[in-house]
Amino acid sequence: MVSEKAVNESIDRLFRHDIGQMISVLTRIFGIGKIDLVEDALQIALSRALKKWAFKGIPGNPKAWLIQVAKNHILDQLRRDNKSVGFEEEFRKTDEYAHKADFIDSVYFEHEIFEGQLQMIFACCHPSIPVDSQIALTLKTVGGFSVSEIAHAFLAKKDAVAKMITRAKTRLRDHNVKLEIPGRENISSRLEAVLKVLYLMFNEGYTASIGNELTRNDLCHEATRLAKLLAAHPVTSSPKTSALTALFLFQASRLPARNSDDGTILVLAEQDRSLWDRGKIADGLSYLRASASGCEVSEYHLEAEIASYHVLSKSFDSTDWKSLVGVYEELLERNPSPIAALNKTIAVSHVEGAKAALTELNSLDDRKLQNYYPFFITKGELLHMTGSPHEAILAFEEAIRLTDNEPIKRFVKEKIKRITSDI
Amino acid sequence: MASFMFLLHDNTSMPEDLSAEDVQGVIEEYLAWRKEVANEGKLIGGEKLTDDGGRHLAMSDGGIRVTDGPYAEIKEALGGYFAIKAADYDEAIEIAKTCPHIKYGTKIEVRQIDEINLADM
Repeated sequence: MVSEKAVNESIDRLFRHDIGQMISVLTRIFGIGKIDLVEDALQIALSRALKKWAFKGIPGNPKAWLIQVAKNHILDQLRRDNKSVGFEEEFRKTDEYAHKADFIDSVYFEHEIFEGQLQMIFACCHPSIPVDSQIALTLKTVGGFSVSEIAHAFLAKKDAVAKMITRAKTRLRDHNVKLEIPGRENISSRLEAVLKVLYLMFNEGYTASIGNELTRNDLCHEATRLAKLLAAHPVTSSPKTSALTALFLFQASRLPARNSDDGTILVLAEQDRSLWDRGKIADGLSYLRASASGCEVSEYHLEAEIASYHVLSKSFDSTDWKSLVGVYEELLERNPSPIAALNKTIAVSHVEGAKAALTELNSLDDRKLQNYYPFFITKGELLHMTGSPHEAILAFEEAIRLTDNEPIKRFVKEKIKRITSDI
Repeated sequence: MASFMFLLHDNTSMPEDLSAEDVQGVIEEYLAWRKEVANEGKLIGGEKLTDDGGRHLAMSDGGIRVTDGPYAEIKEALGGYFAIKAADYDEAIEIAKTCPHIKYGTKIEVRQIDEINLADM
């Protein structure tokens, strides 16, 4: 009988992104054409770990254990396939793989992982893949999210997400996409695409467009983590990358305060600012400083600046709305986005009053806004403030009609109830 | 105090689409259970068996026949064991009921180790 030896009880957390790192590292060795084999191998390693660790405890270095098991599985599979075909050349290659695979035991660590992940991000955000699929593929192969987790995050059917990812991988193979960080000649446009995907990933997390949760923090944290990775690499760090990272950190610092304990939404004015994550704000400020190193001012810079005004004000009332109006104007000059224009009207209402803001809001003539629930929430608020409760209710009802997010629906219904009782 | 084996039967098929979070969650449950039993001084040990189903030896036609397991049609195999101390079957069963394997495995077979003490002889 085996006596009970010390079992590793301190659970070294295995994060999703650890799995993503392993996918990157292994795909780098075996090539992007073998990405499915790599993912299958990691699934097998995970299910082995599940049983083994459950009975025996977690090994000292769980990641090394998983990668070893996955690696062995891939090599076995490659050898088996070669045997059936009988290609000498392939055998030689497999030995090379084996050699490289041993090599990673020693350099599996930081640098390899770091480079591997960045290369994988660029592959996932390759222009041959549609943007929606870029996000899903990035979450799957870099973030280590399972298909069900991605399906949950976007409230999509599992099968649909799986298909989307398969198609995206096929494109990678068809276009013979290399795992590499793009060279100087096209880094700028490729980086632009990557930043956009992270921006969309974060946004989807920040206000989940559908479902029962207001936010999907996982998506926000993953986008932030990846932005930080990009900001840390000499080729991908740029003032823009830093600005985006700063924006994410500022926004994410407020995540803990956006819901009350019973799950209702708390707007900026109602949030307990002591819950804001000071560490993230400080971190964001240093990225914001780094973003000012060039002469470029991007939209991400301006959005980060706007977010910084909010996280740095001691209270809602002491917010520097006047400066905010200025930054919004600058943002609108570069990109006349109706959403930025809408946000500006909120700042205007604090500087010039609700009436001026309402006039400005009514002058926004954009079809996109007619399907955008925050437009009607803002309109309702401003109408209420300017003494038109009945019209305010109509606007709020329109907002409810336009969103599928349950907490937001509840939040707006509550407003209607309050106004109705005051009439 | 008697000793018992919990023979942990498992599904041999691999679950699909496992995430790191899933794995972490299940392992944490097992480890928490293990720790609790150990803290009560009732855990003797536990091991996982390999997934290959092992080798089966039997006498046949005057020789020893060795076969591989598991057979393709068998969906279940012995995946591992825990060894614990308990006063009697009743207590062993109570402990087994709290084991997460009840949820995640296919079944737990509880067997008492037949110990022959000098005092009994």
